[in-house]
Amino acid sequence: MAIVNNTITQPCNYILSGHVEDVDTKEKLVAASASIKETGKQIITNEKGDFVFTTLCAGEYTLIITHVSCDTVVKKIILTKNFHIDILMPHTRKVLGDVIVDAQKGIANTGYKKELSGRALEETKGLSLAEALSKINGVTMLQTGSTISKPVIHGLHSNRILTINNGVRQEGQQWGNEHAPEIDPFIADKLIVIKGVDELRYGSDAIGGVILVEPKPLRNKPGFAAEINSAYFTNNRQYVFSGVYEEQLKKQPAFRYRVQGTYKRGANIATPNYRLNNTGSEENNFSISAGWKKEKCNTELFYSHFATKVGIFNGSHIGNLTDLLNAIAAPKPNDVFLGQNTYQIQRPYQDVTHDLLKSKTVFYNGEHKFTVLLAGQFNHRKEFDIVRSSTNKNPQLDLSIYTITEDLSWEHPKKNNFIGIGGLSLMQQDNSYNGRYFIPNYFAYSFGGYYIEKWNKHQWELQAGLRYDNKNINTTRLKFNSDTINYDFNFSTFASSFNAIYKLTDNWRLNTNISLTSRAPYVNELLSDGIHHGTATYEKGDITLKPEHSINISAGINYQHPSKIFSIDVLLYSNNINNFIYQQPMPNNPVLTIAGAFPLMEYKQTNAVLSGFDISALIKPLPALDWVSKFSFLYARNKKLNDWLILMPANRLSNEVIYHLKDGEKIINTYLSAEMQNVMQQKNVPSDINGKQDYKAPPSAYTLINMNASATLQVYKTPVTISVGVRNLLNIVYRDYLNSMRYFTDEMGRNISARLKIQL
Amino acid sequence: MKKQFMKIALGIFFFSAFITSCKKNKIEEPNEDEVITTMKLTFVPVGGDNTLTYQFKDPDGAGGTAPTQDEIVLKPSKTYNVTVQLLNETKTPAENVTTEVAKEADAHRFYYEPAVGSNIVVSGLDNDGNDVPLGITSTWTTGTVATGKVVVTLRHYGGTPPGKAVGDLVNSSKSSTDIAVEFKIKVQ
Repeated sequence: MAIVNNTITQPCNYILSGHVEDVDTKEKLVAASASIKETGKQIITNEKGDFVFTTLCAGEYTLIITHVSCDTVVKKIILTKNFHIDILMPHTRKVLGDVIVDAQKGIANTGYKKELSGRALEETKGLSLAEALSKINGVTMLQTGSTISKPVIHGLHSNRILTINNGVRQEGQQWGNEHAPEIDPFIADKLIVIKGVDELRYGSDAIGGVILVEPKPLRNKPGFAAEINSAYFTNNRQYVFSGVYEEQLKKQPAFRYRVQGTYKRGANIATPNYRLNNTGSEENNFSISAGWKKEKCNTELFYSHFATKVGIFNGSHIGNLTDLLNAIAAPKPNDVFLGQNTYQIQRPYQDVTHDLLKSKTVFYNGEHKFTVLLAGQFNHRKEFDIVRSSTNKNPQLDLSIYTITEDLSWEHPKKNNFIGIGGLSLMQQDNSYNGRYFIPNYFAYSFGGYYIEKWNKHQWELQAGLRYDNKNINTTRLKFNSDTINYDFNFSTFASSFNAIYKLTDNWRLNTNISLTSRAPYVNELLSDGIHHGTATYEKGDITLKPEHSINISAGINYQHPSKIFSIDVLLYSNNINNFIYQQPMPNNPVLTIAGAFPLMEYKQTNAVLSGFDISALIKPLPALDWVSKFSFLYARNKKLNDWLILMPANRLSNEVIYHLKDGEKIINTYLSAEMQNVMQQKNVPSDINGKQDYKAPPSAYTLINMNASATLQVYKTPVTISVGVRNLLNIVYRDYLNSMRYFTDEMGRNISARLKIQL
Repeated sequence: MKKQFMKIALGIFFFSAFITSCKKNKIEEPNEDEVITTMKLTFVPVGGDNTLTYQFKDPDGAGGTAPTQDEIVLKPSKTYNVTVQLLNETKTPAENVTTEVAKEADAHRFYYEPAVGSNIVVSGLDNDGNDVPLGITSTWTTGTVATGKVVVTLRHYGGTPPGKAVGDLVNSSKSSTDIAVEFKIKVQ
């Protein structure tokens, strides 16, 4: 229908040529198929990634580029003269989503980098950030029910992970196990986990790694584009709408902007045998970005607002240890907490908002690049507990945190095979609380600086970096009789990292890294003092804690068969953390309260080791069939007590087959996939010799079957992607060790999802 | 032009560092409102005699200074009308939590459990609006001389509706514990 062929009088001798590259690696894509829908002609790219169509008439054409390891690209071309087009092909899930073989590309990260983008990210639309990230091998989740989840990288989470939201270090209340990252995943075009040299740009304290939430760059082509995403999930009748509109002004091409918004609402969640009351959730997010781009300078302003309200299963409310033991003994929660199918959220619930305002300016002096990043963040967390009086409308926990960060960086141009970046970072933070004491009011300020150099020649690539940070914290705890307790702290932390990559051949790549990182204790570890109701323990901080020091050694091997029918990625790591901060039971000192005696847990330091490996492999038994297999294994020990560390993710294996259907006239990117996920039982848990840490044995192993299917249709020239999926297809009953609700309830049952994406 | 730009950027940078470092930490009154520091049991003997008061007291709430607790001493073969009172003494004046419990009577229930051999019988608990025991008031009858224990428990129903019923045991999975205090008791 797009054929415009009123050109009979004109000669049909135009040439359409093109060049195809991988968007990330800049690798020339050989054997990509370029076809013109209207003429039906197909040409395969040569060894330089080039293709040429000759003897074309003037008119409008639809150019379709496909490549085995990339998403299909469709371009509309109006041909009025000879035309050349460069095409950048985005990755698809076919290249293991997470195995990125970066080539020489400016300051690009080339160490440990795992990425979720393209179709693998599409399949997570409507899920939380942590759920999306857990598709990456080696990343798992720490959960409170099905609606609160936070990412765990190789066994580490919370303050040991940095989350960088659109270039800004996210500063919320990330210390708590039930505090999920306050980020709308729809902002992201890519979710990336990095470790090693590049994490030094963000902090010296990323012992577990860095998560980058990266939006698409602002539009770089005059005109506008819009995309609408929507999803519906049957289990909890959750619906999601997200829209984005972006434009580059035609009259003023330097100016680009984007507006984006998401609304999400879910009702109570159902396990296979019962529905859990008060597990609904609601989310309201929007963001606005605007940029001004000139040759020597560009500046960008970004504002985002995130707001969520999440119900917490009211049958999980426990008053003391006896209640917890009763809950553990009960096969299922009492019927008064089950069976309501409603969107209503009651106490207990969390109400969290996060606002971010960022300005980023980049300017060039010759080949030198300077970046000034200023950001302000405000995080407001309110927790509404079950209270005695229904007239009480107050939150019981109310934490506000204001953060201002200033980052300056300088990148020098490539010289003698060296490229480098250096920077300064400053941060000022004000935290205050109302209601229940958890962490004190504090004012913190820090300054730091880093320097990274990267060198590459022939098959070698070497990178090294250093970073120093100093953090000052002044805390004030208010006592009820208007006394205050003040403590001041000052911590210096140092980090460095070295990374070496050796490309044996085009198909083999070896990567080794050694990183030293240090993390200052956070205020909750220093000054917690109160009952943690979820675990029926009394948690107490220790003001004498020192920074943790980690030495992380890793080695990675990549192999890709020349014909791309097989590839494998192996990562081995060993993270030795001295002064590792953890909670030690103090069985001889229970804390007597009016609600009974609570076991005391004190923050202590030990030496810990977290070692493990991640393996992923892709096999293509048929051209249209991919088999992706992933395994991750973790071994986490407390070396001083010669015991296991608590709450470490169980080893897991996932096998997925994806069948790609041939692209048709109006249907492209059609695939069906089925995944089997095996999560083993965590048998490596601390013994009771040093005090009881947990009152329930880890749940049994489980196997989930998940399926997805998706196709993109051309409806009046508009690509419309329709996907359906099902999670926990067999509706099995299971509990997960890393979900604190495992004391009380089963996990979510079968959940069928439908997604619709329209690109205008 | 470039230099000017650099100056502006640096100006913003230091200005924002300056304003935030001068900001004072605000001090607000903490208003933790769900604390119970004190449970008082008032014993009024039937047929006259001195009124007795025994209490559990943790004036700074959970943690900090350890709570103090009285031993309950009652006379043998006597009946007492007992009233329980809950206070939050971290507030000035002390907040009477019993009134809140009474207001939400259908979501609360006291249990009094004397240990075997304590020679105490607790009965006559007052009811909520649905004729289900509440237990703000109760009747304690003593037997012969003995020493033992009694556990006083306040359970809170978290469901909506609470679903409180006559037959609910103290460890019912419908409710959770607000108070659990074990008193030593002496009948002498």
